[in-house]
Amino acid sequence: MFVRGLPNRARKLLAAVDAAPTERCIGGGIACAPVRLWHWVNAAAILILSLTGYLIGTATPAMSGEATDNFLFGYIRFAHLSAGYVLSIGFLLRIYWALKGNAHAMQIFWVPLWRSCFWREVYQEIRSYAFLTVEPERRVGRNRLAQLAMFFMFTQTITFMVVTGFALYGQGAGTDSWQYKLFSWVFSIWPNSQDVHTWHHLGLWVIVTFALVHIYAVIREDTCRPGASDL
Amino acid sequence: MAVQTPNGFNLDRSGRRIVIDPLTRIEGHLRVEANLDSDNVIRNAVSSGTMWRGIEVILRGRDPRDAWAFTERICGVCTGTHALTSVRAVENALGIAIPENANSIRNIMQLCLLVHDHLVHFYHLHALDWVDVVSALKADPKSTSALAQSISPWPLSSPGYFKDLQIRLTKFFGSGQLGPFKNGYWGHPAYKLPPEANLMAVAHYLEALDFQKEIVKIQAIYGGKNPHPNWLVGGVPCAINIDGTGAVGAINMERLNIVSSIVDRSIEFVEQVYLPDIAAICSFYKDWLHGGGLSSKSVMSYGDIPENANDCSAKSLKLPRGVILGGNLKEILPIDHGDPEQIQEFVAHSWYKYPSDCCGLHPWDGITEPSFELGPKLKGSKTDIKELDEGGKYSWIKAPRWRGHAVEVGPLARYIMGYAQNKTEFKEPAERLLKGLNLPLTALFSTLGRTAARALECQWAAHQMRYFQDKLVVHIKGAIRQLPMSAGGSRKPGARRPRAMGSLRRRAVRLGTGSRSRTPRSTIINVLCRRRGTDLLAIPRAILALLKPP
Amino acid sequence: MGGATETFYSVIRRQGITRRSFHKFCSLTAASLGLSPLAAVSIANALETKPRVPVIWLHGLECTCCSESFIRSAHPLIKDALLSMISLDYDDTIMAAAGHQAEAILEETRAKYKGRYVLAVEGNPPLNEGGMFCIDGGKPFVEKLRSMAEESVAVIAWGTCASWGCVQAAKPNPTGAVPIDKVITNKPIIKVPGCPPIAEVMSGLVTFMTTFGKLPELDRHGRPSMFYSERIHDKCYRRSHFDAGQFVEKWDDKYARKGYCLYKMGCKGPTTYNACSAIRWNGGISFPIQSGHGCFGCSEDGFWDKGSFYDRLTAIKQFGIEANADQIGMAAAGAVGLTVAAHAAVTAAKRLTHNRDRAAHKSKPS
Ligand code: HEM
Ligand code: HEM
Ligand code: NFV
Ligand code: SF4
Ligand code: SF4
Ligand code: F3S
Ligand SMILES: [Mg+2]
Repeated sequence: MFVRGLPNRARKLLAAVDAAPTERCIGGGIACAPVRLWHWVNAAAILILSLTGYLIGTATPAMSGEATDNFLFGYIRFAHLSAGYVLSIGFLLRIYWALKGNAHAMQIFWVPLWRSCFWREVYQEIRSYAFLTVEPERRVGRNRLAQLAMFFMFTQTITFMVVTGFALYGQGAGTDSWQYKLFSWVFSIWPNSQDVHTWHHLGLWVIVTFALVHIYAVIREDTCRPGASDL
Repeated sequence: MAVQTPNGFNLDRSGRRIVIDPLTRIEGHLRVEANLDSDNVIRNAVSSGTMWRGIEVILRGRDPRDAWAFTERICGVCTGTHALTSVRAVENALGIAIPENANSIRNIMQLCLLVHDHLVHFYHLHALDWVDVVSALKADPKSTSALAQSISPWPLSSPGYFKDLQIRLTKFFGSGQLGPFKNGYWGHPAYKLPPEANLMAVAHYLEALDFQKEIVKIQAIYGGKNPHPNWLVGGVPCAINIDGTGAVGAINMERLNIVSSIVDRSIEFVEQVYLPDIAAICSFYKDWLHGGGLSSKSVMSYGDIPENANDCSAKSLKLPRGVILGGNLKEILPIDHGDPEQIQEFVAHSWYKYPSDCCGLHPWDGITEPSFELGPKLKGSKTDIKELDEGGKYSWIKAPRWRGHAVEVGPLARYIMGYAQNKTEFKEPAERLLKGLNLPLTALFSTLGRTAARALECQWAAHQMRYFQDKLVVHIKGAIRQLPMSAGGSRKPGARRPRAMGSLRRRAVRLGTGSRSRTPRSTIINVLCRRRGTDLLAIPRAILALLKPP
Repeated sequence: MGGATETFYSVIRRQGITRRSFHKFCSLTAASLGLSPLAAVSIANALETKPRVPVIWLHGLECTCCSESFIRSAHPLIKDALLSMISLDYDDTIMAAAGHQAEAILEETRAKYKGRYVLAVEGNPPLNEGGMFCIDGGKPFVEKLRSMAEESVAVIAWGTCASWGCVQAAKPNPTGAVPIDKVITNKPIIKVPGCPPIAEVMSGLVTFMTTFGKLPELDRHGRPSMFYSERIHDKCYRRSHFDAGQFVEKWDDKYARKGYCLYKMGCKGPTTYNACSAIRWNGGISFPIQSGHGCFGCSEDGFWDKGSFYDRLTAIKQFGIEANADQIGMAAAGAVGLTVAAHAAVTAAKRLTHNRDRAAHKSKPS
């Protein structure tokens, strides 16, 4: 039903994404320039967000001196909010690119969970990581396990972080701000925004965990799996 | 027909039964069923606590640092009292000693509550049982002024002042919308004050309403707000900074001055308005020597207001401590709350389950397991009670006992205790008041005595506030910048002690409000704290003890 | 709600004419009309007293602190509110009547002021045990609540109890206490949360309705926007210290004495919508933060169950154990990190043996 609502081109892309693993070969790979660019901007924003977010959560050691001499916490929050904007705009552009770019561009947004061939490939991937098959399958496009992790741990989490982040932003910007107007529905789910802080904070650790595994997988892929794509 | 209570009282339901539900002008929810004889005299009565919120159950397993906020919400009228008891219990359990200044500030806050609560209790809750507000319309403002000036130097006493008020009241009652005074027994012969005294009392009802909001500013200065000020395990949250950078955001000279001036005004109000009113009103109700309940027999006081931090010995406590049984004022029995033989709670008539209904349990071993069942002689149904069966369970309130005895607590109990212990600050004012009214000592054991004791304690508390405020200032003088206010860091108390028990006394601030039904009762509250491993059981108990008329 | 009850009397009061001179004015008028002084009283009466809005104030599971707070109001003085602005016909904390005389007022109000009285509710109804954890007149309180709501024009939910559930609804909520909007579904409900709410917020709301003759604008949670649209943190006078990164680290440390920000002591000002930091308490004399204690969020939904008031990061109970986001997150990331390391080690080992195997294989004579 979701598929039906999409524009024609998007539908074609989706079909291509679905088909990709079986067809085995699609020109361009996943490392096209816009995605590359986005990847690194995104990674940098997330690094900043994670560091500053953690500091916001635990707070820095007390500074001494008059309040007017310092703006440390203000800067930390400023960095967080700015990086938040960068991340969010990048994410929007990435969504645009998913519809516009090549078939692989859609992969982190589209996981064909209902297809048995998808799960078969996931299973093979798991066997490979569990050292049950010696030779990893050669593939073009993203490995299905990675796709799964990207979708749930990255795409979903980032969406969540952007939404909750802007809801929290709206609190500071005030109830008349566009951020509040657009995102305050979050507070219907959690009327006490303390919960929004808590879940937003937990999101940090989901992202960190994802990054850990992702970077490991990428490095491993690079060293063990000749021919794997790189960014 | 008669039902025997565990204390040997007889409940006899022959005669006529009057049900009062809701009983108003109290905190919480209460139902009273009184049995009247053919002369319309109440022979005995059952009081039923009709609300349970389960705070004991909710507190289980919580962070002990937070417990005070939960227990504080037991009651917003004696606000802060349960909280203070809770922080003390936690400190006792964890072996935390608090700094001297924190002790002074806690005392000031608690005394502030005493002053406020007695005043509000008398004027806004209890007085409507003595003062006929409608009769005030008939008063002659000039005579009212003369009356007021004859009993007190209080400046708001001119004929014009009373006349203005009377005009306002005339309008108010003329509107036909009587608000809180609707459906009162106005004009009933049991109201004995002449119109002039009524007018004066109504004036003071309104003045006290204005003034009570000033008194509590003391709690707001030290605790951030009132009702429900903030407390802290380990000390008090406010910091003192008299003469340094940032002092403006701490307890500084300006803050101390506010407290000081409110203390002065409180003393003035109590001495120039409250006490003269009590004397004047009591002089018209001198025959009101019933309603003494247990006061002539068994009274108990835990004592409070420690002079020295962390010292809860009888010597340090400024409110007296002890038990009197059988009306024997000569013998003061010592209390030990930690002794399971001494303090016990019974649920034979309360809607709770114990392993055995006959036995009482010390609050440390207490169980709070609700079980709503009504006796077989109930009239009505489970959700539409017409008349309770006092042979069965009939209340959400447990029955606390001291060595099996029902005892009265509250201001009168404390005054009797102070009197019996020959403490001049309790004995003299009581004697002076009685002498002025030309009444014997035994007159104390009555509703009148209870009302008077509250006023006397109010005065005492106002002066004690001054004492502790001065003491605080002397300490500050001694050590200007380094003034510990808290022993606690920011960390959660460790779980090192395998088993700690904490308990601290508290006083019930007030005693029965006595509506027109004049059913006497009193209040006793224990907050006890049990901690096993990392599990905290703070058990606050709000217990309205049923007192029987003689 | 009827029109604003502004009378000639309140207008001239507003213009600075005192009560005394007002009455002088009335007597003069009466004298020039040839009336007796008593008639002057009734003129004043007619000018001052247009009908006041009847208010019925019910108490469920609560601590009466909201009532206590209400009587602390400094502007208007509560005596003026009671004598001249509203008609508080039922409030069991202060009313003269009790028992059946009190109950009679409810019946009368329902009939006489049908659709014209305001129902104010302090506390909330328990639903377990047939509602008998709160008995009122021998019956479950919830019945009285429902029946009085039925004929009211609007309902005020006083405090966190009526608005959100508050302490008795904290886990495990043994009485099944629910906020009143769970049982009153067909009336406008104005939530005035706070445990208790600020006196002047309460009286301000009531006088808003009597002065402007309408209900206030409500936010998405049903709270009056005029008092609940900003956080404690937004107007906190310690905010400059927050932005500077100047925090109290321990109770009564040198930073506490300087009035630094209480964020690290668990202050919930950043997530609490209330007017404390702007209007303050008790005639503006202080508020929790000004007296050194963090805000613990007493006007927020479920604030009792978010972990300790003194912790900056609050508990996440969904995972069975009570831990905060950092504890859970670090454990998860740590576990994953270890797995990754182990995996890397195995990979390396495999690769070594694999290469050796391959080498051995190669060197084997075929
Ligand atoms: C990977 C993405 C992000 C991470 C890891 C992250 C992390 C965090 C963390 C850990 C906190 C502290 C929460 C607490 O304990 O109270 C926080 C707060 C916050 N974040 Fe994010 N965040 C992310 C994205 C965003 C985005 C996209 C925005 C939107 C602009 C945003 C806005 C905020 C705001 C407004 C706060 C509250 C700041 C305050 O209370 O002073 N965040 N973030
Ligand atoms: C040392 C740092 C990093 C390296 C070397 C790296 C490398 C790569 C490579 C080689 C790919 C493509 C491989 C594949 O699709 O499986 C990739 C994709 C991706 N990486 Fe990273 N990465 C790094 C850090 C991060 C971080 C911190 C994040 C965010 C938490 C991130 C998020 C992603 C995402 C979302 C994709 C999918 C891109 C797409 O939409 O197609 N990466 N990365
Ligand atoms: N009666 C009574 Fe009390 C006291 N003291 C308490 O539980 O009002 Ni709050
Ligand atoms: S909201 Fe808080 S203050 Fe008000 S009645 Fe409930 S517990 Fe008491
Ligand atoms: S004290 Fe609390 S409300 Fe004030 S600035 Fe700090 S965190 Fe915000
Ligand atoms: S605890 Fe409550 S009183 Fe105000 S400052 Fe916070 S909302
Ligand atoms: Mg009540």
